[in-house]
Amino acid sequence: MANSNLPRRIIKETQRLLSEPAPGISASPSEDNMRYFNVMILGPTQSPYEGGVFKLELFLPEEYPMAAPKVRFLTKIYHPNIDKLGRICLDILKDKWSPALQIRTVLLSIQALLSAPNPDDPLSENIAKHWKTNETEAVETAKEWTRLYASGA
Amino acid sequence: MGSKVTDELIATVRSVIGDDYSNMDIIRALYMANNDVAAAINIILDTPNFRKKSEANGLSSTGGANREWSKSADSNGKENLSPNDDANVADCEDVEASPFSGLDDGVWWLVGSTELPGLSTCKKKKLKAGDKVVLSFPSKVSNSPLTAKFPGRGRPAAACSEIVRFSTNDAGEIGRIPNEWARCLLPLVKDKKIRIEGCCVSAPDVLGIMDTVVLSISVYINSSMFRKHISVSLKPPQSFFEDSVVHPLPNLFRLLGLTPFKKAELTSEDIYRRKRNLDAKDKSGHSSLTDIGSWKKLKMDAEGSKVESEQEPVSEYEMDSIVGSVDCSELEEMDPPITLLCELWPYQKQALYWMTRLEKGRSLEEAATTLHPCWDAYRLADKRQLVLYLNAFSGDASTEFPSTLQMSRGGILADAMGLGKTIMTIALLLAHSGKGGSCSSRLLSQASTENSESCSNPDQCQTTKKSVKFGSLIGGGSLIVCPMTLLGQWKAEIETHCETGVLSLYVHYGQSRAKEAKSLAQYDVVLTTYGVLTSEFSCENTEANGGLYSVLWFRIVLDEAHTIKSSKSQISLAAAALSADLRWCLTGTPIQNSLEDVYSLLRFLRVEPWSNWGLWNKLIQKPFEEGDERGLQLVQSILRPIMLRRTKSSTDKQGRPILVLPPVDVQVIYCELTPAERDFYDALFKKSKVKFDQFVEQGKVLHNYASILELLLRLRQCCDHPFLVMSRGDTQEFADLNKLGKHFLKGGKDVSRRDTDDIPSRAYIQEVVEELRKGEKGECPICLEAFEDAVLTPCAHRMCRECLLGSWQNRTSGLCPVCRKTINKQDLITAPTDSRFQIDIEKNWVESSKVSGLLHELETLCSSGSKSIVFSQWTAFLDILQIPLTRSNIPFVRLDGTLSLQQREKVIKQFSENKDILVMLMSLKAGGVGINLTVASNAFILDPWWNPAVEEQAVMRIHRIGQTKSVNIKRFIVKGTVEERMEAVQARKQRMIAGALTDQEVRSARIEELKMLFT
Repeated sequence: MANSNLPRRIIKETQRLLSEPAPGISASPSEDNMRYFNVMILGPTQSPYEGGVFKLELFLPEEYPMAAPKVRFLTKIYHPNIDKLGRICLDILKDKWSPALQIRTVLLSIQALLSAPNPDDPLSENIAKHWKTNETEAVETAKEWTRLYASGA
Repeated sequence: MGSKVTDELIATVRSVIGDDYSNMDIIRALYMANNDVAAAINIILDTPNFRKKSEANGLSSTGGANREWSKSADSNGKENLSPNDDANVADCEDVEASPFSGLDDGVWWLVGSTELPGLSTCKKKKLKAGDKVVLSFPSKVSNSPLTAKFPGRGRPAAACSEIVRFSTNDAGEIGRIPNEWARCLLPLVKDKKIRIEGCCVSAPDVLGIMDTVVLSISVYINSSMFRKHISVSLKPPQSFFEDSVVHPLPNLFRLLGLTPFKKAELTSEDIYRRKRNLDAKDKSGHSSLTDIGSWKKLKMDAEGSKVESEQEPVSEYEMDSIVGSVDCSELEEMDPPITLLCELWPYQKQALYWMTRLEKGRSLEEAATTLHPCWDAYRLADKRQLVLYLNAFSGDASTEFPSTLQMSRGGILADAMGLGKTIMTIALLLAHSGKGGSCSSRLLSQASTENSESCSNPDQCQTTKKSVKFGSLIGGGSLIVCPMTLLGQWKAEIETHCETGVLSLYVHYGQSRAKEAKSLAQYDVVLTTYGVLTSEFSCENTEANGGLYSVLWFRIVLDEAHTIKSSKSQISLAAAALSADLRWCLTGTPIQNSLEDVYSLLRFLRVEPWSNWGLWNKLIQKPFEEGDERGLQLVQSILRPIMLRRTKSSTDKQGRPILVLPPVDVQVIYCELTPAERDFYDALFKKSKVKFDQFVEQGKVLHNYASILELLLRLRQCCDHPFLVMSRGDTQEFADLNKLGKHFLKGGKDVSRRDTDDIPSRAYIQEVVEELRKGEKGECPICLEAFEDAVLTPCAHRMCRECLLGSWQNRTSGLCPVCRKTINKQDLITAPTDSRFQIDIEKNWVESSKVSGLLHELETLCSSGSKSIVFSQWTAFLDILQIPLTRSNIPFVRLDGTLSLQQREKVIKQFSENKDILVMLMSLKAGGVGINLTVASNAFILDPWWNPAVEEQAVMRIHRIGQTKSVNIKRFIVKGTVEERMEAVQARKQRMIAGALTDQEVRSARIEELKMLFT
């Protein structure tokens, strides 16, 4: 079984995530695969995602922590750096990954990304364009989507 | 000593002389009169100022007044000469003292008269018998009185200033007096301490040059002399002793032909003896054997008939030869009181007899009337029959009676370890108890004032000054001072061996201990530790001293008394400063490193005059170091009456051993290093040797003693387990040893050796290290574990080396995981770590050959259920040993210096009571003393210690009373390493302890010794 050979670091991280969760974030490993985490992130206050509960999945690859975890939004979200498949455009999940980062830091970064969308480095071309041309409208859409897809369901 | 003065005699005398005289006066008079009542009465009545002086000297019954007096006397040297005295003096002085009776600067007493041969330095002058001669002393005494030391060692330059000429009124200068006289008169005359009157007895009719003129001279001593010495003696007399131990006054007495009617019992003669020997040496260049012969004779004289004429060669390998193991089989036995709940062995009953005899031997009264052994008593030729006391060692003079009161009673119980010193002491506690100072505070207060007079060394003075305040001290019971490790054991033993309720016991330890002397004094027995003692002692300010110092103890017992062996240490000073009537030292090793160890004990015990360092050094320490065996013999003669030492091999009257213990088998197990270990050791050795050779070349071996010991330490640790050395891989020198260490870990398989990395600047490391020291331990940001072989990046981030390198794509450079700065591998700095081992010793566990050897032994023993103690001097090695023990499922406990008292007790109890725990890991130092672990019958000493005595002490924890099984001691030595050579050094050390090597030899030997270790 995959769990039997779990590195000490993953166990430690898991324990810490469970015992001292970061505010607005919950992450719990799946029962059959300890490398697979079910994550929920609360939409940050004063952001278009306020009031929303976003589900994500996080997977720690074999090489972790030498390779970045794989993270994806499961909840539909209107955000210039997140595409419709839920993939996230975040440097630390790609080339800027460092083994000094952890699940917690990754999730906190994602939470921060919700507070500060970065349309200059888009993943979703359309949404980014929308954000740049008419931010108020884009934010409104984001709020709408949050209400539609992320409200406590 | 003098026979006892009984109450009856006192009453008889009092009935005649009335109540004007105190008991002490009467006792003293009786003593002087040898208990002849009539003579005593005459002495009192005939001595005009007998009572005056007595009062003045604090012999009257009002203790408070005494103290007042002794203070004012210091400030005013003439105070004791009341007008009354002067009148008396004038009455009875007519002939001898008349020339001086008009002088007002003190009273002159005729010391004695004698004839001496003067040498004429002129021709044809006339001199009749009976002509008065005047002695003229050089007015400008160059460098005097120091150069006027007596008798000179032939110093021509100084000699001319020491010429004393004599002349008559008619003829002018006639000649000079012998140098011997001149030298001793000069300083005294100069200080106006003596006056001399002379006349011609006979002279040739016509004088020629170098003719002999017989003169008769009378020497008068000024009473200020006596006063002066009180104040002098309170000053540290260091210079005094460095220069000379012979003083003009005793010498003058000798020249005058005065012989003490009561001789100093001790060794004042020895001083002359030694002095003469030195002279002989100076002149003839060799010390003759006859000196030693006469020394022997002297010793006989000094000790009376009880000296056995055994003159053991000092080269014996045992300490016994220093301390002189005494045949004590003849001692009587004394049954302990029934309140002692256990049986004593016959030899223990002997000890009890011996101890009580030393304690009670002389009653206080007797002590008060017994002349202190350092003092001679002289009758002056003066008509007034003054008795003058001269301290043979300090040269102090006194008209007061120096009694033995200030000499504490007690001694050294130096039975070898395991003979039950504790139980013997407990028996003593029960057999003889009381309160400090309760016998007679009056006598004691007298003693204290007298004490201040005779005391002549700074430490002692300090304590006597303290003891003058006896009034403010509260009489207490017995104080037992022991190492912290033994506190529990003492308590337990007292509680189990004494009938309940007989002794009240208080453990004076910890933060909540009693501060009040009153509460301390109410207990029969107070237990405390050396640590508490030191913390309550303040050498600057006696007022600030804690409760222990506000009690006048009935008895003090120092357990493991060698703790105070360094005389300059706080602990030693602290112990010596305590006040008590009775003092005991318990130690199985009265000498551990040097003869000096004994000095501290004697100082604590107040064995006079040896608490005087100058004297000790001059007469014992130096001769001993110079290889003069008389030093040693003197120590033996000092110790003989106050020390009881039996060993396990001592025999009783019938020649049977006093104690039958199961046999002990000592075995050395020689281990061979595995090839991988050998590689590691050899590399380390080579490195160390290069350094050592550098020191030798520069001639700086002894300057770098500490660094050399450090080098040796690593080598020795390496013999235990290479991990111990690898735990120190943080220094430059050992950077590449880490690689060898890895090599070792992999069991000797070849690891590609990469060229050594450059080392960054030292200053930078220090800067970062300093930062690290302030910070907390933290964890590696990558593995989230405590750092293992941590490295520092140039950006000052810390992580495990392996984690960091693993995060890099290529082998030589990469990003800092924390700040993403690019760093090169060679820029990494090995960080100092908090964890002891840089490698995970558990994960990488490898047995060293020594560990394998131990495990092999233990496994055999464990199957038989026999308990073992494993000693190492490094707790880190104990850490390592825990791994294989755990893996082999051998239950163990561990005792080291980090445990608190309660934890220790718990561990010992656990080990003693739990059948399943078969092994105790113990650090050599922590487990060294006192602890009784007879439940174990095997001891393993994993690493040799410099001092075999320490090892022996550890072993004696199990080979002692109560041990029923035969004992096996196994010492591990790794062949062909520094350990093997250390054994040779140990043997040398043993010889040094036995006194075969002098200190000078030792010093030069030390370098040799070190060279030996590095061959």
